[in-house]
Amino acid sequence: MSTPFYAPDFAAPVSSPWNSDQDETLRCVHIRQETADVKTFVLAANGPRNFRYLPGQFITLELEIDGAKINRCYTLSSTPTRPDLVSITVKRVPGGTVSNWLHDNVRVGMELGAMGPSGEFSCFKAPGKSYLFLSGGSGVTPLMSMARALHDLGSDADVVFVHCARTPADVLFAEELTLMARNMPHFRIALVCEQHTPGSNYAGHLGRLDAARLAHIAPDFMQRDVYTCGPAPFMAAVRGLLTTAGFDMLHYREESFSFETLVADAAHAPDNQETPKENTEVNYKIDLQKMGKSFTCPSDQTVLQASVAAGLRLPSSCSGGACGTCKTKKISGTVEMKHAGGIRQREIDQGWFLPCCSKPTSDIVMDR
Amino acid sequence: MTTLSAQTLLTRELLARRRPGYSLEAPFYLSETILQTDMEHIFGKHWIFVAVEPQVPEAGDYITVDFGTNSILIVRDDDMNVQAFHNVCRHRGSRLCAEPKGIVGNIVCPYHQWTYDLTGKLIHAKHMGDDFDSSGLGLKPVHIRNMAGLLFICLAENPPEDFAQMAAEMTPYIAPHQLSQCKVAAQVDIIEDCNWKLTMENNRECYHCMSNHPELTISLYEYGFGYQPDEHNKADLQRFQDIMAANHERWEGMGLPSAEIDTLDDRITGFRTQRLPIDRSGQSQTMNAEVASKKLLADFVDPALGGLSFWTQPNSWHHFMSDHIVSFTVLPISATKTLVRTTWCVHKDAVEGVDYTKENLTAVWNATNDQDRRLVEESQIGISTGAYQPGPYSPFTEGLVEKFCNWYVNRLSTLTR
Repeated sequence: MSTPFYAPDFAAPVSSPWNSDQDETLRCVHIRQETADVKTFVLAANGPRNFRYLPGQFITLELEIDGAKINRCYTLSSTPTRPDLVSITVKRVPGGTVSNWLHDNVRVGMELGAMGPSGEFSCFKAPGKSYLFLSGGSGVTPLMSMARALHDLGSDADVVFVHCARTPADVLFAEELTLMARNMPHFRIALVCEQHTPGSNYAGHLGRLDAARLAHIAPDFMQRDVYTCGPAPFMAAVRGLLTTAGFDMLHYREESFSFETLVADAAHAPDNQETPKENTEVNYKIDLQKMGKSFTCPSDQTVLQASVAAGLRLPSSCSGGACGTCKTKKISGTVEMKHAGGIRQREIDQGWFLPCCSKPTSDIVMDR
Repeated sequence: MTTLSAQTLLTRELLARRRPGYSLEAPFYLSETILQTDMEHIFGKHWIFVAVEPQVPEAGDYITVDFGTNSILIVRDDDMNVQAFHNVCRHRGSRLCAEPKGIVGNIVCPYHQWTYDLTGKLIHAKHMGDDFDSSGLGLKPVHIRNMAGLLFICLAENPPEDFAQMAAEMTPYIAPHQLSQCKVAAQVDIIEDCNWKLTMENNRECYHCMSNHPELTISLYEYGFGYQPDEHNKADLQRFQDIMAANHERWEGMGLPSAEIDTLDDRITGFRTQRLPIDRSGQSQTMNAEVASKKLLADFVDPALGGLSFWTQPNSWHHFMSDHIVSFTVLPISATKTLVRTTWCVHKDAVEGVDYTKENLTAVWNATNDQDRRLVEESQIGISTGAYQPGPYSPFTEGLVEKFCNWYVNRLSTLTR
């Protein structure tokens, strides 16, 4: 081993809590490759310290990348029941400055500036009768922290833990979740993958988390306290389906797993408010996520017209909103749609639209 | 003079020599030719129970029902009416909806996107020219009736008119259970390797119940379907009659019609109904005879409402209880293959895992269906051995089997005359 093995002095009396005002850095003591593009960084304080935090809270890393000071919040994936260390679990995001830097540069022994912990997202803040944890991708981190804490405390909490991933190869913490389900009598896991991985023995749900699938996984979801963490479109979809189902949103809580870049002196609190962009242009960008293509759509054209002008061939027939052949899921964005019966209101509520009779009112990401 | 087909001649001969009080001759259970006759005259000219209203709760919801070579599309339109069409495009005949259920805006053929609105009108067909007349190319409608939430279709151009009479008599029995305010909690399809008439005949007697249905007979009195009195069961039979009389008085007082109506073999649209007591706590067809759903149907407060049974010719039976409704539809696939579709409905606000569990709700009939499947498949095997000849029905316990066969023989005789 090239780096010294990290071990606290277990014979010593309980150490004092970590306080980021005094201990400004954390040292990386271990790195785990969780999946092809996700790593867990295990961090220790510089000296004997106890980490006290609510499962689900985040820390803020203060990094210097290419000469610029960048702060970024990461929810902790570790549990305070194992108080000597904390960990963050980071997915490499294409074009993501901080996540790429962490993946490419952090080595065991390296020190990272850190502040916190803080955050309100924790089932330990408002204990409920039963929980539904909904995680998308590396949004699993705060929910993993809560689950690990419940597990370590010998809790018999009634938890349905739903983890959504792109493919079975992207599922995080599968073995550990299985172990927790084995140890906790009322802890249930459900995995939902968008696509299958060829050769995988995955036997969970395939597709996206929609109302029908959620009702299948947790028929009593209306009675549960819901904690959601994942990419913004994932959380928007969850909010949409819960609202449609008439869920009492007082029992709904959500958290982003990584936050907007914050200037060094800005507040630590995560800012999930999306401010509407000022659109002086009448051209909108339409992204076809699966095809990896994009085109421009003037606001006075239908998305289908612009796609044809851009040389794309999306399925369509009537061009008047009647046949529904072009029906597509919107991942994000808004349109003004004038259909002729080719789509149902509940499909619109679930994010579907008909490009043939929809003019954009923002940039759009389409699930094509 | 018209030339009769060999099929009609064979059927006529077999019908003419049917011996009352005896089971049917083997060809009725084995012959594909007779199945064709059954499909043409029995399933083609009578009211067939196919689904319950909660299968299509919202505008745009559809189901497809396949039987014989037919595929029928049932869809709820924007005025919330339930419509039925042949599931066949008027362009080049492609099946329109391939899934057993789903949701549509308009009805669109996947082949060339011919688009029909939910009244069946063709509203879009590309590349057909400016003078294309779409007026004669609407979807072919199928007659459909919604009787207090039970959906019956008829493929005939002129369906039997006595459906209205059945609806008038049965609606007061069924309506209090408010099937339209239910949701489908579970639906199970099983395929039985037997002729559809064996499935129906087996349903029409409880001679076999005590020995074969340990789960069903927890809640079901075996005496409800005819029994030969003897020294040993005299007291029990009398007790059953007393319980039934007392309950009927109580239920009728609550506005729940309970008395028997039996038109099984004296009407075209034959049926039978009776509200039967349930054993033990008297509540529901479950493994402990208590309600499977804590959220009772309609405005019911008393869980002990027995079970309203409703049997229809040629292909269904139903049990309406205080907490759930279980419906069975029997649909022929071939002469020796039959689909039995069981649908359990609970109050639409009942929450799975809180008010009920699917496992408890379906336990009795899943077990009973499986036992019945084995019984009718063994019958089919025995009947096809060649040693089979029609055997006598019990005058005490198989009167309703005789009525089924009598209705079947009479209807076919009339329609093939």
